[in-house]
Amino acid sequence: MCGICGIVSYAGPPDLALLRRMTGLLVHRGPDGNGYYRDRRAALGHTRLAIIDTPGGAQPLCNEDGTVWVTFNGEIFNYVELREELRHRGHVFCTASDTEVIVHAWEEWGEASFSRFNGQWAIALWDRHTERLVLSRDRLGVRPLFYLRRPAGLLFASEAKSIFADQSVERAFDPAGLDQTFTYWSPVAPRTVFRGIEQLEPGHYAVLDRDGFRKAPYWRITFPEQGSEPMQDIQENTRALRERIVEAARLRFLRSDVPVGAYLSGGLDSSVTASVIARYTHAPLHTFSLRFSDSEFDEGLYQKKMSAVLGTEHQDVMVSPADIAAVFPEVIWHAEIPILRAAPAPLFLLSKLVRGNGYKVVVTGEGADEVLAGYDIFREARVRLFWSRDPGSAKRTRAAELLYPWMARSPGRMPAFARSFFGRRLDPADPALSHRPRWDSTSVLKSMLARALQDEIDRAGAEDVVAAMPPESKDWDPLSQAQWLEMTTLLAGYILASQGDRMLMAHSVEGRFPFLDRDVVDFANALPARHKLFGLEEKHLLKHAFADLVPDDILHRPKQPYRAPDAASFFVADRPAWFDEVMSEQAIATAGVFEPSVVAGLLAKGRRTGGENMSNTDNMRVLAVVSTQLMYEYFIATSGRGAQERALPDPCVAVDLVTDDGSVP
Amino acid sequence: MNQDIVEQVLRDYDASCRPDGDPELEAVRLAILLEDVFGVVLSDAEIEPALLADAAAVAALVVRLRGGA
Repeated sequence: MCGICGIVSYAGPPDLALLRRMTGLLVHRGPDGNGYYRDRRAALGHTRLAIIDTPGGAQPLCNEDGTVWVTFNGEIFNYVELREELRHRGHVFCTASDTEVIVHAWEEWGEASFSRFNGQWAIALWDRHTERLVLSRDRLGVRPLFYLRRPAGLLFASEAKSIFADQSVERAFDPAGLDQTFTYWSPVAPRTVFRGIEQLEPGHYAVLDRDGFRKAPYWRITFPEQGSEPMQDIQENTRALRERIVEAARLRFLRSDVPVGAYLSGGLDSSVTASVIARYTHAPLHTFSLRFSDSEFDEGLYQKKMSAVLGTEHQDVMVSPADIAAVFPEVIWHAEIPILRAAPAPLFLLSKLVRGNGYKVVVTGEGADEVLAGYDIFREARVRLFWSRDPGSAKRTRAAELLYPWMARSPGRMPAFARSFFGRRLDPADPALSHRPRWDSTSVLKSMLARALQDEIDRAGAEDVVAAMPPESKDWDPLSQAQWLEMTTLLAGYILASQGDRMLMAHSVEGRFPFLDRDVVDFANALPARHKLFGLEEKHLLKHAFADLVPDDILHRPKQPYRAPDAASFFVADRPAWFDEVMSEQAIATAGVFEPSVVAGLLAKGRRTGGENMSNTDNMRVLAVVSTQLMYEYFIATSGRGAQERALPDPCVAVDLVTDDGSVP
Repeated sequence: MNQDIVEQVLRDYDASCRPDGDPELEAVRLAILLEDVFGVVLSDAEIEPALLADAAAVAALVVRLRGGA
């Protein structure tokens, strides 16, 4: 795992000093080495986290004659098989790295390479002869890739902060990006929260050359027409799913030159991945877990049980609300978007634990909830659809009581609230029936926005993700429609970013996700909906497939989403001084995002209650304001808290084809 | 659609279901499954614990609602 950046300039040689500053802002992604390449049109930068071919995989890396260069962040897990195929076609390899496979695959297959890759990647390829830049991002957005288009070129980087290394780049929030964040929990690619900065959509590649900039998908999230799913036999599907997940986990555990650990959350998904590794590989397994001092959030008992069953070397980190407040500014520096939950902060501390134990790579259960229908939002949708068939039925109304049985304030205990929350906008023809309650309740945050910003958002017009659903989605099962929305919004924009890549890479740790393997996802998407969500039982097929490996009480635990203390973290008596600074009336007014008087009222409520027992909406309000204020301080204010640029050690690769007078020899 | 398929789904449901004790809620839970898997719509009178507790009766109901009776 690494950091990548680059500059394309058709108006003169790229600025090498700028490239090095950009690279310096990505050292946390790759502390093991760095390198650069420059010619008269393009410059590529790289910071390396050495995992495969430790001695030979330095980047940027080129083909045999130096005409094609690549800077790459991620892993191509099927690189061994692709390398053999390319060798048979006459390609000569100088290293054992997966990076070199990308270069030769590009020479052999061009854009068709990307659909052959099974992995997680952000890639930039530069062809010197055609003066063409190609950017590519993995299917579901595991790895980030940002860019800024200019009249005479482009800047790109793994993180937006690297692009801001160019002092001429405008520093401003994008109103539409904020609008999406305060609706969907994150901007939806290509949009970001920064004006002018875009992110490449997952499953896409982009080309920049003399003909301009253009993008195309090489893969799409798709599902079969409802009722025409090709595989109907549950026994056969159980066997096939297990086979694919075992292979995906094995690839991710074994294809590494450094030891690989695993997360154990205490839930089903990470228990499956850790169990598969323990059963199907012979290497000792080291597992890592997150604990909470507040028992409402803690899953320590289940983690300990699973670790004991597998016989792993196990370590955990105990997190308190004060710990969350202490690291929150760093979390926002890495996440680069406002976040509506504190949940990324404990994950930041978990990756620190992993790295502190000498591990660079962890396998986790991320993606199972989206791919195999584990989230409560899918159960909610099924309840709402059931209810919508006769909204006046007293019996159907009671269906909401079947949701969230583990919650202290569950719908079963608060049926009147459940009816008003889950019973809104019950339109069975709405393709976003599943997501309306979440989006509506999140959109309440926008009532705090400053008038001027709200006017800008109104002028820009809302960008509705539902309008981007493919035309054929009208024939999908409602679960498939909900999965498409979840994968397109929350998975790519928040789960894999703010809770995934950014928190892992903050401490130079690579996450690997077997449930997001190409073959697992393609297989799961083709399944009948009932094999994933069977009535209201989530991840039905996954439970069938691994019933022999996972203890019964973990297998049949009611789904408990990962949560952390939110507002309570910021109203503790010994909270850090930065909180009062960034939340002051003056700071709120200066940032111009929120209405100072509204924030003052919210803070008064928080101080009065100590942040305890605040409503779900008020918790989100506090998190939205404090994270946005930190975003302003770090990325928008020119006199802000400043960039955390780390010194670059000497480069491992230093290729500069531009002479002092700007010419190319 | 035949009765065997319905009974197979019901066996799978019985194996995976963890009832919470309220018979009417359990009837609602099963009705959600039946409507989703078999594409039928039950009336309130059919979302009835006494009726849905009997596998043969449920199978017959589904077959009838699907027009197979």
